[in-house]
Amino acid sequence: MKKSLLDYTLKVRIPLVAFVAIGSFVGTYYLSRAERDGVGYAPEQPILFSHRLHAGTMRIDCKYCHTSVTSSPQATIPPVGTCMNCHTVARKNRPAIIQLTKFYEEGKAVPWKRVHRVPDYAYFNHSAHVNKGIDCVHCHGAVENMEVVAQVSSFTMGACLDCHRTAPERLAAIPGIKRGPENCNACHR
Amino acid sequence: MNERNQWRSLHEEQDAGTTPEMKSQEFMDGVTDAFDPETLSPLSRKQFLALMAASAAFAATGCTNYRDKGEIVPYNKKPEEVTPGKANLYASTCTACPQACGILVKTREGRPVKLDGNPDHPVNRGRSCATGQAAILNLYDPARLRAPHTGAAASGTGEVSWDRIDSEAARQLAACIRDGKQIVLMTAPVTSPTAQKLILEFRAAFPGTKVIVYDRFHQETRRSAWELCYGSAALRPVAWEKARLIVALEADILGNEGFTVEQTRAVAGARDIMVSNTFVRLYSVEGTMSLTGTNADYRCRLHPEAQLEFVLALTRAVAAKLKLAAASLPAGPDLAAIAHRRGLPLKTLEHLVDDLVTLRGKGIVYAGSALNTDVHVAVNYLNELLGNTALYGPAEPATAVTVTPPADVASTIADMKAGKVGFVAHLDVNPVYHLPKVLGYAEALKSVRFSVAMTDVENETAQLCTYMLPVHTMLESWGDHTVRTGVISLQQPVIAPLYATRQQEAILLRWMSASTPFSELLYQEYLKRHWESAVFPSLGRLTDFLTFWQMALHDGVVTTPVSAQAPLQFRKDALASLRLQEHPDRYAVVLLASPYLGDGRWANNGWLQELPHPISKVVWDNYAAISPAAARALGVESNDLIEVSTESGKVTLPVFVQPGTAEQLIAVSLGYGRWNAGPVGSNVGVDVTPLLPAGCLTGPRVVRAMSVSKSEGSYALASTQEHHALDDTFVKDFHLKRHIIREGILEEYRKDPHSLGIERKEHESISPRVEFVGVKWAMAIDLNKCTGCNACVAGCNVENNLPVIGKEQVAKGREMQWIRIDRYYSGTPEEPLASHQPMLCQHCDNAPCENVCPVVATNHSPDGLNQMIYNRCVGTKYCSNNCPYKVRRFNFFNFRDHLADGYYQQEPVSLMHNPEVTVRSRGVMEKCTFCVQRIMEARQHATEAGVTFDGKQVETACQQACPAQAIVFGNMHDPGADISRYREHPAGYDVLGELNVKPNVTYLARLRNIHSEKRA
Repeated sequence: MKKSLLDYTLKVRIPLVAFVAIGSFVGTYYLSRAERDGVGYAPEQPILFSHRLHAGTMRIDCKYCHTSVTSSPQATIPPVGTCMNCHTVARKNRPAIIQLTKFYEEGKAVPWKRVHRVPDYAYFNHSAHVNKGIDCVHCHGAVENMEVVAQVSSFTMGACLDCHRTAPERLAAIPGIKRGPENCNACHR
Repeated sequence: MNERNQWRSLHEEQDAGTTPEMKSQEFMDGVTDAFDPETLSPLSRKQFLALMAASAAFAATGCTNYRDKGEIVPYNKKPEEVTPGKANLYASTCTACPQACGILVKTREGRPVKLDGNPDHPVNRGRSCATGQAAILNLYDPARLRAPHTGAAASGTGEVSWDRIDSEAARQLAACIRDGKQIVLMTAPVTSPTAQKLILEFRAAFPGTKVIVYDRFHQETRRSAWELCYGSAALRPVAWEKARLIVALEADILGNEGFTVEQTRAVAGARDIMVSNTFVRLYSVEGTMSLTGTNADYRCRLHPEAQLEFVLALTRAVAAKLKLAAASLPAGPDLAAIAHRRGLPLKTLEHLVDDLVTLRGKGIVYAGSALNTDVHVAVNYLNELLGNTALYGPAEPATAVTVTPPADVASTIADMKAGKVGFVAHLDVNPVYHLPKVLGYAEALKSVRFSVAMTDVENETAQLCTYMLPVHTMLESWGDHTVRTGVISLQQPVIAPLYATRQQEAILLRWMSASTPFSELLYQEYLKRHWESAVFPSLGRLTDFLTFWQMALHDGVVTTPVSAQAPLQFRKDALASLRLQEHPDRYAVVLLASPYLGDGRWANNGWLQELPHPISKVVWDNYAAISPAAARALGVESNDLIEVSTESGKVTLPVFVQPGTAEQLIAVSLGYGRWNAGPVGSNVGVDVTPLLPAGCLTGPRVVRAMSVSKSEGSYALASTQEHHALDDTFVKDFHLKRHIIREGILEEYRKDPHSLGIERKEHESISPRVEFVGVKWAMAIDLNKCTGCNACVAGCNVENNLPVIGKEQVAKGREMQWIRIDRYYSGTPEEPLASHQPMLCQHCDNAPCENVCPVVATNHSPDGLNQMIYNRCVGTKYCSNNCPYKVRRFNFFNFRDHLADGYYQQEPVSLMHNPEVTVRSRGVMEKCTFCVQRIMEARQHATEAGVTFDGKQVETACQQACPAQAIVFGNMHDPGADISRYREHPAGYDVLGELNVKPNVTYLARLRNIHSEKRA
């Protein structure tokens, strides 16, 4: 009697429990991967700014607003003044523009929610990538189709290295592109 | 040459038996086993785990949105010149010391993060010093006064408004005029022509204003001698670059006397083996062991009180050799007699006379400002006799201020005590701490009705005043500075005032015209008006004033033509007053400027407190340096206490037995022992002002001691000299064979460049050979040029966000500086020869640290860097253990949290950090990166420009700071680069090259420019 119970525990219960535990861990690990990496993260912004309208329909160049992307490590979010280049005249009566004008006139900055982020110990350089001819779309996705900007690709070290290792194949359209550096100091210092 | 016995400390020289044992250990005693369970938290493991579980559960339930990444807040209206992520440079002037060097301030997003020399400035030419490098910390010092406060003399306590200060000051000033009371302005020498004009206008507005100027490290003995000899008080600075021979008499021209940045550059520039194989010859005759002495080709140990008889004997010997009739000089011993009595090597003195005669007109004899007027008069005559006056440059500008004579200071203090003074303003000076205690300034201040102190951090004087008025630091101020004829250096603010502070000149301006409301522009406008009316017209520029002004601010410096100088006429009657004094058999005290703290002004700057003394390597303290024989005579050792008394007072000091100190001499630094300097600097070291006599306001700083005796107790000085021992001395002579320091004699090198015996061997290696293609980084350090001044260490500290750790941690061998200057002695403890060697990560091709890291946190990059990745490091410290150069540093704590109750974690210190370098926390290893952030920036620029990165234009922080330009950095695969020439040079050698670690730092052997007879 005792023996058969032990057999049952050993042969059925433990494997079953182990299977369920490991299976759910692995399942959760893979299923939650995208969410843990932030893919699909699309926070609500303080002003309903539409990239689809500005970058898509109106075809305004990314660099019109993200000015320092070619000259600085940071692409930078435009100051309110950049918006007002047009919006002192354009669509002044829309609620979002009224909200924007208020920020401008009060001299306050707009507290945009951050969508993309690499950790502080990783020093990503926009200018080094963009000046090589790598398009924004490669990491940020088709922003011109997004009403609300969402993160589309993973920003992990694995994702960086993946691209660095396969740059000539991935970016075949860019003549002469080489593999990206893989040494630690390229990003960490 | 390398047969000499080299030693780092007396302890090692005498080999007490513990040194080899110490060196075989990675860490100092008690560092790793000092975890006392009694001092640990009383929480049991179970309680701890329960708490952790509870907090984890709370944290998990408390999270509202774990995906939230915070906000990005852009500008509302972006300033045109600011691009986030890119640095801006602004030209300004460093006012950390009276050298007033031109600087370029690097700002990121509007915050100053680094100061470096302005290459366009004709005096410092892009170079800076340790104090200047670290001065940026004072802008972000949490102890800064943020609003006007009441001092001890005020009724009530706490913050007051500027309006109240202004109205009360105006009332008090009017009352002084009405009641016929004196108004006193206390100030340090003012180097700004505009500020001088302002002070004159203040005196005109308030008649009866007295201006008291004092300077602890004044040049008055030199100046009064000059006046006696040449009839004018305007000194003529030496054109050091032209000198082929320099004889420094108790003058630390490479340490902290005069224009050290310029002097270091000139001396080092004249010892550049890559340019010429004739060097300047440097003699140093001194009683204290100074940087100049350690860098001299010949050093003679002479008591400062014997300098006069020495100079006179030298003059007679030179005159005899030249067959000139010397003027009648007071009788005294000749050189042979002095050599005999003082134990100087006669052969060296003969060489000195020969060299002075041979290189007449091309040499200079230079006496230190601590010496008395007589020595300076005698030196002036000797230079005159030799025609060395050819090396004098144009006279000092008229703005060079003489300090107030002691009699005037004393009478003003007497007036203060008698209640005749109604108003005292201290213009960023601290006389309560600075002035000789015998003058009783602190007492006198109490009898003054209204007193204010303008200062950035509360100090001893401010504490006693009615009000303390917070003023701008140098990076928030406007100004112009003239310290050299024909050069005006402009100072502009690089950040808006952080707090409710005002520029001190603007405070005076506001008081002078009570009707004008205060505005931040007040002094800026005044300065501009002065330039428009007084400076601009005399320049004869073709542009309009505003264009000129913008250009001048951009350049940071304006040069004006220098008019021809009247020839100097030496007055021989000056010699008539020379008197040789008898020296009683008694100790003398020489009071030195602190190497980095100045007159104590920088006491609250942790970086400067923690810079090791260039010779003794002591940090966070001053001490009485005495010779080994004096220590035996007094029955003391290092760390014992002695009591020193002079006619003015007495102090008790810790002893440091300093090889090379003259007998009967005690050398001690001023600038320590401040009792109200802020959380970092208060009560660090001993205040030796009580030893100062009143006469030192204009007189020499060598004081006769009344008594010197051993005192009870001991005091532990923290010195880094035996930390991170580089050589493994399990047998005493072992390090002689290791050629860590290589030296030679210039003359022999000239005959045969390969006489140094440096051979480059290819060793068998068990590691696979790695081929590097493209850019590969390497550094070279020229030991002929390096003076050991520590500017590189300070520059590295700022660039790489290094923490201040405090004396206790340094004593445990945990100092964090990535580059250190090793100082080796050789010869005897009485007359040692010293060698300085900067030591930093060698970025070895076969790096031993890389093999032992269990997590590959340190490994090699394709451009030859030994990379250290903090976020991967788990803190095993194996790498440090395996490093033959001992250059790796471990974060035993989060040190920013560990000094003075987290002083450096308070706001706004974090704003100072270089945003391009990770701020390391507890538990990770770190080390020199060859400034990889600068390399990456240069790479980015190359990509931007669409060119192949060739490795030019990269300058490391240490290289940029080095006033001697001893450090060369670059791409060794570029045959045209300087670094390639250094690596191929016959005097270039690797330290510990025989380990086959293939270091990438090449040292150039030091060549002593001595006469090549066999040295004793």
